[in-house]
Amino acid sequence: MSVLRPLSKLPDINAASVLLVENEEDFQQKLAGVMVKEKSVMVKVRLAKSLPLPAKNEQNRPRIDLVVFLINLMSELSLQSAEASLKHLGQGYFLGKVCFMVTNARHAALPAERMVAVRKLASGLRCPLLYAEDQTPDGVTNAAERLLVILRVAAGCVPMTTALFLSNLTSCIVPTEEEEQQNLDFDV
Amino acid sequence: MDPHTSVARSPFSSVVQRRRSKSHRQSYRSNVGTMSHLGYTPGFTKRRLTTCRLAPKRCSTAEINPEQRALLVREWQLSYVTPLYRFQHGHLKTYSRQLAAFLVSERQQGVAAEVGLGSTLKVTFTLVAGMAQTEEEADTVFIKILSKTPMAAPDDPQKVLWSGWLTCVGGNPDYLRTLPEDFVCLPLFCSGGTEGLTALVKAWFQRTFDCCFGRLEINSVNLQWLAALWTDCHARTSIKQLKLVWSLPAEPPMEVIYAMHAQDASELWRSVRQPGLREEEDDGSVGLAEVACFFKGLKSHFYRHFRVELSAGRLTQVSTALGSAKHGGRIKISNSSYMITTLTLLTECALLKMPI
Repeated sequence: MSVLRPLSKLPDINAASVLLVENEEDFQQKLAGVMVKEKSVMVKVRLAKSLPLPAKNEQNRPRIDLVVFLINLMSELSLQSAEASLKHLGQGYFLGKVCFMVTNARHAALPAERMVAVRKLASGLRCPLLYAEDQTPDGVTNAAERLLVILRVAAGCVPMTTALFLSNLTSCIVPTEEEEQQNLDFDV
Repeated sequence: MDPHTSVARSPFSSVVQRRRSKSHRQSYRSNVGTMSHLGYTPGFTKRRLTTCRLAPKRCSTAEINPEQRALLVREWQLSYVTPLYRFQHGHLKTYSRQLAAFLVSERQQGVAAEVGLGSTLKVTFTLVAGMAQTEEEADTVFIKILSKTPMAAPDDPQKVLWSGWLTCVGGNPDYLRTLPEDFVCLPLFCSGGTEGLTALVKAWFQRTFDCCFGRLEINSVNLQWLAALWTDCHARTSIKQLKLVWSLPAEPPMEVIYAMHAQDASELWRSVRQPGLREEEDDGSVGLAEVACFFKGLKSHFYRHFRVELSAGRLTQVSTALGSAKHGGRIKISNSSYMITTLTLLTECALLKMPI
């Protein structure tokens, strides 16, 4: 079983490489189109439907700095496929090099249980959870910009900041019931 | 400090107020289940959670009165209603006269132009007894609009143009208790008839009782709950078949109708519900995990035969002999024995969808 590892290859100078994993293979194309236009860092975007990645590309693949799971909340299959792919990711990635991006979070027909499940998944793995809107070009540009911020840090292109440091600030947190009660009961 | 005036203040001071007097009105969502968080805007982050464990219902009374029978006749369109201000169950005759006058005056303005209507309309508001589950719940109100031609003899049957009902079945008692005195909570509104008349009735309610109406859709998880609860009832009342309709986002959009014999569905359900559960141990509650497992079984069976992954699509309709529910908010209850269960679930959906 091939597991993706973060530090098994050498990095390139002033380059960053991101892997977009999406079951529908729709949003990732649009994001890739915007992200490669970045000028300050040379961005390489790899697209995948799910993990594990095919072994035949192993030699040509650069070191992946950030893995982004794109989940469409309207489809249950999207979430299930993302969860199944997580097993093929090496542990080193969960120190700030994994990110979840969800679309359709404001859809009227979205069952609340699915949103809760995604938040619990992201908070359990201590990863950031970003919300994106993929239907308009503005939405895609905004989502790409946010991913580039995290990507630059994960690739080491920002001095004095590491991926682990950033993930401590941006990771998704779902407080438990006891913590909620404590927040309410403090005396003013 | 008067608790009611503090409601209009900024959220921070309302948190302080809450600790002193419990009569501060809380949003429904902040009361339900795990996360209750009043410090921030209610309905914002912690707005879940639908109770994970819906007690299913063994249910229920076999005899129903004729008013309840009227609820089984047709398919209803659902909406949610915010609590009604100063709605009194004793004044139903007054309300029926007012609504009739309102409809006639609206029609004379040319708003609702219907060909062949008699010159007079008769509106009846009736109470449907036996639906409220606890003391705090208000009784169900059934509204009927009949047309009356002036030439007809008094014995001729009048044509029912429109009917609808407001109900609250199994609403969360904590929430009901926190409502201020003058408000009556009847969150589920079911309407059957022309769109024009529905809009007029809603407009009258909004004007008279200062409430808001909104569309209530049944999302896929609630449809799954309904399917599971109805299958659970098969042991006592046969549901004949379980029919599920999915819509898949293919080009062109594909609709999958998955119908199975009630016996097979029931066996799958029983095997999911804790294999080895004896009758005495069953405390009658169904968990969300069991419903998810039941559907996972159904979908994987379908995939094995047709190589079509149903999770990629959306569940849009569930129907059995006990009733049918559609994603757009249309419901039909065909059997009186499990009416209360279905209505409890729908009332909960309406309460959660309400904006306050």
